[in-house]
Formats: sequence, C-alpha cells, structure tokens
Amino acid sequence: MASVVVLENVGKRYTTVKGKEIHAVKDVSLSVQTGETVGIVGPSGCGKSTLLRLIAGVERPSSGSIHREAAGGHFIVGYVFQDSSLMRWRTVYDNIKLPLEVVKKRDLGNVDRLIDLIGMKGFERSYPIELSGGMQRRVSIARAFVHEPSIILMDEPFTGVDELTKEALQTELGNLIRTLRATALLVTHDIEEAVFLSDRIFVMSPRPGAIVEEIPVNLPAVRDASTRSNLEFVAAAGRVRAKLLELHAMRVEAAT
Amino acid sequence: MAGVGRTTRLSLQGLAAYSLPVISFVAGVVLWQLLISLFRIPAYLFPSPSAIVQVFFTGHVNWLQQTWITLNEAVTGAVIGVIVGFAIAVVITLSAPLRKILMPYIVALQVLPKVAIAPIIYILLGFSNTSRVLLIVILTFFPIVINVSTGLTDVDRNLIYLLQSLRAGQATIFFKVRLPNSLPYFFDGLKIAVSGALVGAIVAEFVSSNSGLGFLILNSQYTFNTVAAFGAFTILTVLGLLLYAAVIVLARQLMPWYRSG
Repeated sequence: MASVVVLENVGKRYTTVKGKEIHAVKDVSLSVQTGETVGIVGPSGCGKSTLLRLIAGVERPSSGSIHREAAGGHFIVGYVFQDSSLMRWRTVYDNIKLPLEVVKKRDLGNVDRLIDLIGMKGFERSYPIELSGGMQRRVSIARAFVHEPSIILMDEPFTGVDELTKEALQTELGNLIRTLRATALLVTHDIEEAVFLSDRIFVMSPRPGAIVEEIPVNLPAVRDASTRSNLEFVAAAGRVRAKLLELHAMRVEAAT
Repeated sequence: MAGVGRTTRLSLQGLAAYSLPVISFVAGVVLWQLLISLFRIPAYLFPSPSAIVQVFFTGHVNWLQQTWITLNEAVTGAVIGVIVGFAIAVVITLSAPLRKILMPYIVALQVLPKVAIAPIIYILLGFSNTSRVLLIVILTFFPIVINVSTGLTDVDRNLIYLLQSLRAGQATIFFKVRLPNSLPYFFDGLKIAVSGALVGAIVAEFVSSNSGLGFLILNSQYTFNTVAAFGAFTILTVLGLLLYAAVIVLARQLMPWYRSG
C-alpha cells in the first residue's frame, strides 16, 4: 500500500513572543497509508496540533523531514478544527465551497453531494449563526472533504459537543470517510473517539510530544453504535488508556 | 388556554418595552413646559418646548439652508474620513514596518483631544470650507482606523491555517478572510464616526464660519436668542439620530449573517 505522508524524525521548536523556547514535537516518525485512518492520542498541549500544522505545510519542521505523496496531482489537505471555524459571513453552501474557490476548481458538484451526505439539504442558504453546534460541525467536516484532499487532518473535531451528538457525529464521520475512501489523520485526547474512528493509534507523550506506542485497532471497517460494546473496542481503548496513565504517572513522579 | 394567556402577557411586555420610553419622553416635555410656565422663566434664559417649535416658523432663520450647510460638511468630512481611515487600516495591517513607523503618530493623535487643533487649522488652510471638512475628517477617520485594523487582525487563526494549507496567498487571505471579518468592526467604528462628524461640524463652525447650525448657536449667544440655539439643538439631535439609524440599516443590509439569529 502506498503511503500518503511519511514523517521521519520530525521535531519542532519555536520561540514564543515572550522569548521562551518551546520544544513542541520531538523525533516523530510515522506514516499514513492510503485509505487508512490513523489516530494520535495524547494529553492536551502535547504538540498534536503542531504536528498537523507541520503536515499541512503551514509550519516547517525544525528537524527531520516530511514526505508528502499524492496519487495523481498535488498533495493537498482537508482540515477539520476544534471549533468548527466556519466563516460566519458565508452560508452553509458557500462555506463548503471555499476550498474549491481557493484551489480554483470549477466543478461545484461535490458541494451538493456533500450537503446531501451530511444531511443538510434545505440548509444551503443558512448562516452558521442559525445552525446548532452539531450542524456547524457537519458543515466544517463537509468543507474538509469537498476538494478531494490527499489526507483529511482532524484536530479534536468534536470538542465541546454533548456526548450523544458526539457519538452520532463520530458514526457519520466514519461512514463519510469510508464512503469517500478518504485517508485521515485524527488528533484527539478522547480515547473512545480515537478507537472508534482509527485503524491504528499512536500514543503521544506530554511535551515535547513524542510517539511512545503504536496500538492496532482490529475492528471491522463498518462501525456503528454496537461497535462501542465490541470486546476489541473495549480492549483497544483499555490499552490506550493504560499507556496514557503510565505517561501521566511518570510525569507526576518527575515533578515530585 | 395557557398558551393564550402567555401570548397576551408577552405582547403586554412588548408594549411596555416600546411605550415606556415614549411615555417618558412625552412626560418630560410636558413637565418642562409646565415648569417654564409655572415659574415664568423668560425664553432668553430657558425656552419652553412650545417656544422652540414656534422658532422654526418665525422666518428669521432659514433653517433648511443652515441645516443643509452643516449636514453637507458633516457628511463630506465623514465620507473622506472613512475612506482615508479604511486605507490606513489596510496599510498598517498588511505592512508590519509601516505599522511601526506610523504607530507613534496614530497614538499621539488618538490621545489628543482633536477639537483642540480646530483654531490652528485655520492658520494653515484659511477660513474655508476645506478647513472645516479637514477637522471633521480628523475626527472621523480615527474610530475607523482603530476598529477596521482590529477587524482585519482579529481573525480566527484556524481560517488562516485553512487557507494557507490550500496554498492561498496573502491577497486571497485578505479578501476571503480579513476583509469580511472586519465588517462588523467597521460598522461599530462608523457609529462613532457619524456622531464625531456632527461634533466636528459644530466646532468648525464655532471657530470659523458665518453660516451653519454651529454659527447660528454662537450668534444666538451674542444676541441672547436662546430659543434659536435650542432650535439648533433640536435639529442636531434629530440629525444625529437619523445618521445613527442609517448606519444600523446599512449594517443590517450588508451583514444579514450578523446577529440574524
């Protein structure tokens, strides 16, 4: 299987406005294969978002290298952010259309197709302020897929959504990734979310973020509400949790 | 049944919300009229509302002409001020060096009470319409510079990342993110600018003019024609309200996405 992104010993240091040196990411090596969803789980502030920005090409690594490969055409990412980050001055339709405008794609067929897939027909002309939180997340997800990117980067996509809506959105997102045969990289601190959506999970340490373990998720491709009570689901979540607790204990020990 | 009762109460509350300010205003005017009559206060000290209404029909002053002069100065100055202000805001947002170079002058002008320079503008530019408009421009461009530059800068970082990840250049980011993001800030600035424009017009006419509402007020002082001054106050209040309302209507038209929920 071909890889979409390969990171080799990637590190990122930067200096804050106040002159403090921050070592955000340390020595990260990983690859994402075409068609798979990889989850990265780690505590808040462990450099997960930085990692996504490095892959997106918005920031450059201080050390190491990133190889981006695109099957036929340019490597381009789709981005889903923590808070949906919609343009409040654009309608649902125009928000989803945005990436097509920027990459200058004339064919807008994908916009209608995605509005249909996320179940937002009839809301095309609504503004974000008129939508519920869950609907705003759906629109931001559609925006990430519309230009058929090489990889979808998701940064804590459902933070701040109530538990039931979150589970429904996770199921929808999983279905969307499968239907569109997308490749995805999910960054989250929500263990269940990572297990539910991923084929493999990397556990990241606190800052400077480094990958400390890879945990495979042996679940069927088609996942729904019942997946959450599957033994393999519970086992994988347990392994991730154990590793995170171990890291947490080490940090507490180091601090005392 | 419960639903009916609820709607009735709601509409009564709605009525109270709209009628109370009106009742308060009318009661104030009536009380004012009564107090003036009761204590027989002469009109040159403090005129009654009825005397102010009468002054518009005495024919000593061409009210329409004087109002037009002041309004014309205010609007001309405000339009120029808004254009200049917007341009400066764009420049200092896009160029960090220019921002640093211009910052001391902007801050100095910000803290200076700008009407203080009114008498000196006439030394530079003479007692012309240009001097009056210039003072108004100085008063109006300021809130626009401050608000628009905030609106152009205070954008969702994620939207910048999103566009950068799609290989968008600075120009695309400016037109697709920064500019639309600045609109609500711009209209907040415009609300301040239109009231500033009227202040500027009046001060400019105080200092150098032989026409306009400001000149009329100053002239009323010399001639103890207090009623005429109060007539000018009334017109200025109405003008201020109309300009403010115009900004709000324009904002609603151009930003259906803003507080439309």
